[in-house]
Amino acid sequence: MPLLEVENLTKRFGGLIAVNNVSFNVDEGEILGIIGPNGAGKTTLFNLITGYIKPDFGKVIFKGEDITGQPPNKIANKGLVRTFQIVRPFRHLPTIANVLVPLNSPRGRKRIEWVKTPERKAMDMLEDVGLSDLMLEPAENLSHGDLKRLEMARAMALEPELLLLDEPFGGLNPVETEYMIKTIQRLHLDGHTMVIVEHKLHALMKLVKRVIVMHYGEIIAEGTPEEIAKNKKVIGVYLGRAI
Amino acid sequence: MPFNNALKYIKRLYTEFMVRIYDNPPKIFGFLGFIILSTLPFMMETSVLRIFTTANILAIYALSWDLLVGRTGQISLGHALFYGAGAYGSALLYKYLQWPAWLTVPISIILCAMIAIVIGIPALRVKGPYLALLTFSFPLAFEGFTHYYSDIFGGDTGIRPIPKFYSGLGYSQVLIANYYFALILMAISAIIIYKIATSTTGITFISILDDELASKACGINVTKYKLMSFMLSGMFGGLAGAVYAHLIEGRVDPHFISTTLSIFPIIVTVIGGLGSLYGPIIGTYIYNLLDQYVFISIIPLDPSVRIVVYVAIVVFLIIKWPRGIARVIVEKLEDLQEPREIEEILKGKKEKLVKTHASA
Amino acid sequence: MWDIILISGTITGIIYALIAISFALIYGVSGISNLAVGAFFMLGAYFYEAFLEVLPNYIPPLFPYSTPILALILSSITNGVIGAIFYRVTLHQILGDDVNILITSICACVIIQQLVHIIGGTAMASAYNIEPIVHGQIAIGNVEIESQRLLSALITIAIFIALLFFLTKTKTGKAMRALSEDLEAAMLMGINIGRTFILVSIISAFLASLSGILYTSITGWVSSLSWLVGLSLTFSIVILGGLKSLKGAFVGGLIFAYAELILLKAGIGAEVLVKSFPFIVAIIVLIIRPKGLFGKRVEME
Repeated sequence: MPLLEVENLTKRFGGLIAVNNVSFNVDEGEILGIIGPNGAGKTTLFNLITGYIKPDFGKVIFKGEDITGQPPNKIANKGLVRTFQIVRPFRHLPTIANVLVPLNSPRGRKRIEWVKTPERKAMDMLEDVGLSDLMLEPAENLSHGDLKRLEMARAMALEPELLLLDEPFGGLNPVETEYMIKTIQRLHLDGHTMVIVEHKLHALMKLVKRVIVMHYGEIIAEGTPEEIAKNKKVIGVYLGRAI
Repeated sequence: MPFNNALKYIKRLYTEFMVRIYDNPPKIFGFLGFIILSTLPFMMETSVLRIFTTANILAIYALSWDLLVGRTGQISLGHALFYGAGAYGSALLYKYLQWPAWLTVPISIILCAMIAIVIGIPALRVKGPYLALLTFSFPLAFEGFTHYYSDIFGGDTGIRPIPKFYSGLGYSQVLIANYYFALILMAISAIIIYKIATSTTGITFISILDDELASKACGINVTKYKLMSFMLSGMFGGLAGAVYAHLIEGRVDPHFISTTLSIFPIIVTVIGGLGSLYGPIIGTYIYNLLDQYVFISIIPLDPSVRIVVYVAIVVFLIIKWPRGIARVIVEKLEDLQEPREIEEILKGKKEKLVKTHASA
Repeated sequence: MWDIILISGTITGIIYALIAISFALIYGVSGISNLAVGAFFMLGAYFYEAFLEVLPNYIPPLFPYSTPILALILSSITNGVIGAIFYRVTLHQILGDDVNILITSICACVIIQQLVHIIGGTAMASAYNIEPIVHGQIAIGNVEIESQRLLSALITIAIFIALLFFLTKTKTGKAMRALSEDLEAAMLMGINIGRTFILVSIISAFLASLSGILYTSITGWVSSLSWLVGLSLTFSIVILGGLKSLKGAFVGGLIFAYAELILLKAGIGAEVLVKSFPFIVAIIVLIIRPKGLFGKRVEME
């Protein structure tokens, strides 16, 4: 049984169709990439899957359970965790407190091993993403690259079974990008399933085995990175010509 | 190397400790403040004590509002509802059951908690203007009820008299006793709110204030925490109102649900700072000193004029420094430290780059 | 009895709708929850009386009722100007900071309330008399209505028609509608946001002021606390109808009036009704259907 089944997901905003009859599956342990030009509906798709927007039509099935339209916090507690394209730190809180929040969720509290306190767990998570030095720093003082890592730490604190990453490489310099690639590879080796939306194709193609291409809210192609790179429709879409 | 590991371990212990008190100035200030305030009756005339007594009770009210608005980000423009509900609740229990104050006040607080939950469930589902408008109308609705059921609530005259907490004291002794009563109550309230604020619950509150959507993404049931905050806020607000009625006024009347009281926490938190423990307390002290001393004895001003002055100051401060003047002062103090810090930051960045290059 | 409720309720509801629309308009177009509409509601009545007293000294009555009508217009225009100044000086600086906008606009109401006390004394601050423009009763079918109530409703209808024309036919009006649909898209289309915001604050204050005059000329009095009445009605109707929706404010006003009238006939005292009914309506709406009749989204992004 696939970990995630998206069936015929559709969403309209006024006269605009943002997501049009999108269906795909995600198997346990794989990394799926979703690419497409701006406005293709990728973030809306994430919002639909994770409960921030209710679809007009279609279903989202996670681990065999229909989670369509459930509230975002409930979905997160089931193990379907997302990050945001534009970082959303808790600015008034120090970095470590940012990670304490997901550890305070029902899922976070269940999974803390009995020997560790939440603070220890949070410190471990921060160490995993390399933010140990900035533990007590108010989140509002962090650089963009650090905030991206904080998003990862917060997501990992929930011990997700499926991780939806929305442009994890957005705004990162080459050094930070390399670090993020290594982090995601490490997570994959640990067995986490991931779906990644990304624009930086060179970074994404290093990580994924399968890619879905979206355009105007529809899936226009699906395949391995090599196949997608040669796909005429995809090339046309990125170069601006309709085929 | 064992030495490095030991250092790391110590650092982690220290961090654990610091996490709990990151946001609050050293507790030593509060402790010192309490000591100083405790000695006040020996340094001043007892008639002056009244100002500080009322200030302490109102500070509890201000703290209750700050817990909701400054820490969870839900705006309440009608907090006088809880203040009045606490007062009326306790008075009604006395009127019909003749129970003593130390019994009716706690029960009234529980009543306020229930009211908070009942109103909070529909009200907290919605954001911003909805919530503000709704809370704004609470005291009005309540006032309507007090006038309609004036046989129960006593209409404009209210319910009087209502009992004190203790009796059998001479005049100036009562003033001193009241002073310490209010001071200790305020200290206890402040400590409880401090404990809440620095707990994981308090951290969750702030996460809601900062970014509700991100908080939900972290698996937090935002509505539950908003409700919790609202309930706690209502309880402390009710405590303040009930104590004020019994201790200072000796009666309850519709003044306890006036718009001025709903505006009061806004005034003091804008002056003193929102989202901190000392802010509402200091703001209340400043306000009370102005209202009960400066504007009566030094520059006598009409009550209406006084309100215009306070509110005009509030508007000015909000426009000029939307993040609160206390914060601006703190930031200015931090800026003074800057030159040294920039060097350290640069050093730190270099080390990071070296480390990541080395491992690549 | 039902004809009384229908006719009287419709007439009253139209006037209530005007109050609500003054808020819904500015919130819909600029996202500013300007609670100062309560202050303009109240000031409208006070200025109206002031103009009524002062005008005959300068402009003789040209035709019957010319003085009251002129007073009405001048009072509302004055408040429109004050509204623009208030917006420009305060709200404009804190756009986007919803919490502080709410606080600032409530502070404006409180300041005005106290200023009435300071300038006019207790005489002005409590139960200050507002003369209706027309006296007596008039019969519609079997139902007797105060003539002033009918006049207020008719004036309101005229204003609604003018507003509808403005919003659908004029460039600025269409710009405002675009802003209320989608702020970012409208910005991309090159609409001058700053100017439109000022304009909408003028119109909002104008309408609020007008509604205050029309309402108080029926009840016969205004006090320094009248802004609470205006604001209560506003928020309740706007929640009922949907926060940004003008259509909702209109329908909401009618429904509110009908419901209020039914309860009055059922024997519930007027005073408790005025003070607590708005709150009860709001709670019921929020429990059953938080976005109101015509509202779009409630809380999400």
